[in-house]
Amino acid sequence: MADLIATTLAEVKEAVDTTLAANRTLEVRSAGTKRHLGRRLSADSVLDVSGLSGIIDYQPEELVMTLRAGTSMGDVEAALADARQMLAFEPPSMTRVTGEASRGVRGTIGGVVAANLSGPRRLTAGAARDYMLGFEAVSGRGELFKSGGQVMKNVTGYDLSKLICGSYGTLAVMDQITLKTLPAPETSQSLLVACPDFAAAVRVIAEIFATPHEPGAAAILPQVIAGEEGVDTGGAFTAIIRLEGIAASVSDRITNLQAMAGGDILPMEKSVTLWQQIRDVQPLAKKPLDLWKVSCAPGDAPKIVDALDPNMDVRMIADWAGGLLWFAASRSDALGRRLRETVASLESGFAMLVLDVAATREKIPPFQPLKGPMFALHRRVKSAFDPRGVLNVGRMHDGI
Amino acid sequence: MLMPEPDQQVIDRRDQICRTLRSIVPADCVIDSTESMRAFDADGLSAYRQLPLAVVLPETVAQIAAVMKWCHQNEIKIVPRGAGTSLSGGALPLADAVLLGLGKFNRILEIDYDNRCVVAQPGVTNLAITHAVQADGFYYAPDPSSQIACSVGGNVAENSGGVHCLKYGLTTNNLLGIEIVTMEGEILRFGGKHLDAGDYDLMGIMTGSEGLLGVVSEVTLRVLQKPATARALLVGFDDTGAAGTAVGDVIAAGIIPAGMEMMDGLAINAAEDFVNAGYPREAAALLIIELDGPAVEVDALIERVEGIVRKAGATSVRVSQSEEERNLFWAGRKSAFPAVGRISPDYLCMDGTIPRRRLPDMMRRMASLSQQYGLRVANVFHAGDGNLHPLILFDANVAGELERAEDFGADILRSCVEMGGVLTGEHGVGVEKRDLMTIQFTEDDLKQQQRLKCAFDPGHLLNPGKVFPHLHRCAELGRLHVHKGKLPHPDLPRF
Repeated sequence: MADLIATTLAEVKEAVDTTLAANRTLEVRSAGTKRHLGRRLSADSVLDVSGLSGIIDYQPEELVMTLRAGTSMGDVEAALADARQMLAFEPPSMTRVTGEASRGVRGTIGGVVAANLSGPRRLTAGAARDYMLGFEAVSGRGELFKSGGQVMKNVTGYDLSKLICGSYGTLAVMDQITLKTLPAPETSQSLLVACPDFAAAVRVIAEIFATPHEPGAAAILPQVIAGEEGVDTGGAFTAIIRLEGIAASVSDRITNLQAMAGGDILPMEKSVTLWQQIRDVQPLAKKPLDLWKVSCAPGDAPKIVDALDPNMDVRMIADWAGGLLWFAASRSDALGRRLRETVASLESGFAMLVLDVAATREKIPPFQPLKGPMFALHRRVKSAFDPRGVLNVGRMHDGI
Repeated sequence: MLMPEPDQQVIDRRDQICRTLRSIVPADCVIDSTESMRAFDADGLSAYRQLPLAVVLPETVAQIAAVMKWCHQNEIKIVPRGAGTSLSGGALPLADAVLLGLGKFNRILEIDYDNRCVVAQPGVTNLAITHAVQADGFYYAPDPSSQIACSVGGNVAENSGGVHCLKYGLTTNNLLGIEIVTMEGEILRFGGKHLDAGDYDLMGIMTGSEGLLGVVSEVTLRVLQKPATARALLVGFDDTGAAGTAVGDVIAAGIIPAGMEMMDGLAINAAEDFVNAGYPREAAALLIIELDGPAVEVDALIERVEGIVRKAGATSVRVSQSEEERNLFWAGRKSAFPAVGRISPDYLCMDGTIPRRRLPDMMRRMASLSQQYGLRVANVFHAGDGNLHPLILFDANVAGELERAEDFGADILRSCVEMGGVLTGEHGVGVEKRDLMTIQFTEDDLKQQQRLKCAFDPGHLLNPGKVFPHLHRCAELGRLHVHKGKLPHPDLPRF
């Protein structure tokens, strides 16, 4: 079936109207780099929105960028770098894991927002949803609407920006979005601390976060992976703590932390590379494997790791002080079920299948299943924007 | 302000309703005497008063759920209320609605340093969260000026900010989880102690929903380590435009201060008369710029900021040399509202946001509106994020002055939207700005928001008459009209 192509909001509306009239369904796609996320779609047509592209207005001293959803992350990063600013939520790129990066494919800001993807700094600076100030979109009803605005402080009406972030294109087709930007840190360094086990690494990070030395990111690598990344400390696990800011401040704080927790200092250049690797889950992408992520209370992370079957061949890394766990395995439905059971027993968090190499998502739902009234409420929210189920329907859950 | 027509049939059943409510919650948790209900007839927007049908003060989440379930089944409206400090009338009672007060939910349930969060009941005050963790060096960042009294449940409902949100964000950025009770009496949990929503971000949508989607029955808040030091600069300018430029220059230099506040001449002098903070009386604009963090960093940045503001034309610069002096700088700003209250019998506090670069335009617009309406206006701004708090001075005892002040306020908010800004930065829409929503939003924008309301509360029973200028029935909002076969763009590819 032919693709529909939209380069203006009016054309998006037209495409949705037409699809509604024909009782059909759409898969909304731009660069298509996030298709590994969620359930496989079997829509009647693809709505290609990659043409909704370009930065509309960027005022660095206002800390605000307005751009169209199809703008390539490469263009976004270039504009930010020119102004020495950043998206503080440190959007990861999964294209290196999926192999698309080697073909020069980059994702778009719309994809980042739709999947609410955030990197290591999320722990202290917030997620994509925290930087989304407003947007314009076409709903599954074929109606143009906007929410939020182009200013940083705004409580006028419901904060639909939060809802649209992480809705995987199931509620509306975004065009213009406004994001808050921040100055990029002048310098950064990391402290590498050897730990005898995973729980000890989570603990040392918690202790560091109970000091006023402003750690900005904290990850944990098992020894094998630390070795591969050139940061083996000799411990079974290595805790990596990143500090950012002006040079005098970073060196002062890292010296203080080193006096407290020991460990080695990783200079800026190596630190930047290491954190890019962690951000993009590169250490788990050496060979094609299924990839799971678990979002949990950082203090619960050791329980999730301990509950893994020791006979299972699983590689893992942890970010967000333990609050984000990545697991890679070749046939992962058993792993996924175990992660889901453990997370459910902890009552905070979820396990998501992020990438499958062996059609695992046909066997186990990629999103943690929703129960009873929560599922019903999600269905009603979907219906409020897309009553006929035109947009990416089924991407997240049955009918959603 | 026109509120929805009260349902006389519900009012007629009042005695029976109160009897039933007393069987759902302990009898002394229902207040129905006119005299006792007076304490609940308004929130911080005290120009509007209304006695509720009855006040219910439940003691457990199960009781909240039971009250709401019964009200839902019997089509009785509910207005939720935290500490009643809303400045926009979010907790204004309705004559035919039960006022559901969360005041008894005043316990902190858990302090969890491993996960750097506090779990609390919704009636706990904002400041009590910080008090509970400060001995261990932690604090809760959002600091609305009412923090001594306002409740954290109310903070979620209003997405409260404060003077430090430029660096630390609003409530929505410091919230990890909530438990809510829906109008149907269902208890649901969104978020938890983990960081990201795995599905629709319903916690995000609840935050700032002004009590229209559900009642917050528990919160999990992120707490942070208190910065090692804080220092402030007090900077005078003889021109508000130059002060505005200085604010932009600081940020353009890559510096995000913890707070960046501006006051105009009238506010400076009112504050100075009141607290004697040593403010430069002759200045047309005053900036308070606070930097916090490790001492080395703060000292270095203070120096950079001083250079920037001098270059921008500062006429006076003072740098705090002690904690005492820093607090003195803030004393004037923090007492600006009561200080203005001393120079005028009444004032209206407005709350719009504009793109920061439009500040000089806005100052000129306000000066001309002030002349047009014959009313004085004092200005305090959260300058870092463009959030304005113009205080319109008037005398309610002079016939027509309240109305004139309200019209003046509406014109200011209209100007905010015209300049690319919004109606409210932190006080909420409530009833106060309800009828101005059409300035910022189209009919379709507002209908889409109301459809979300329908997903939570299809009967419009929860806090009706707030936020939205027109109430549409959910059935009407849900209708979808498809023009079959009408294809106005034949050049588009078709299936």
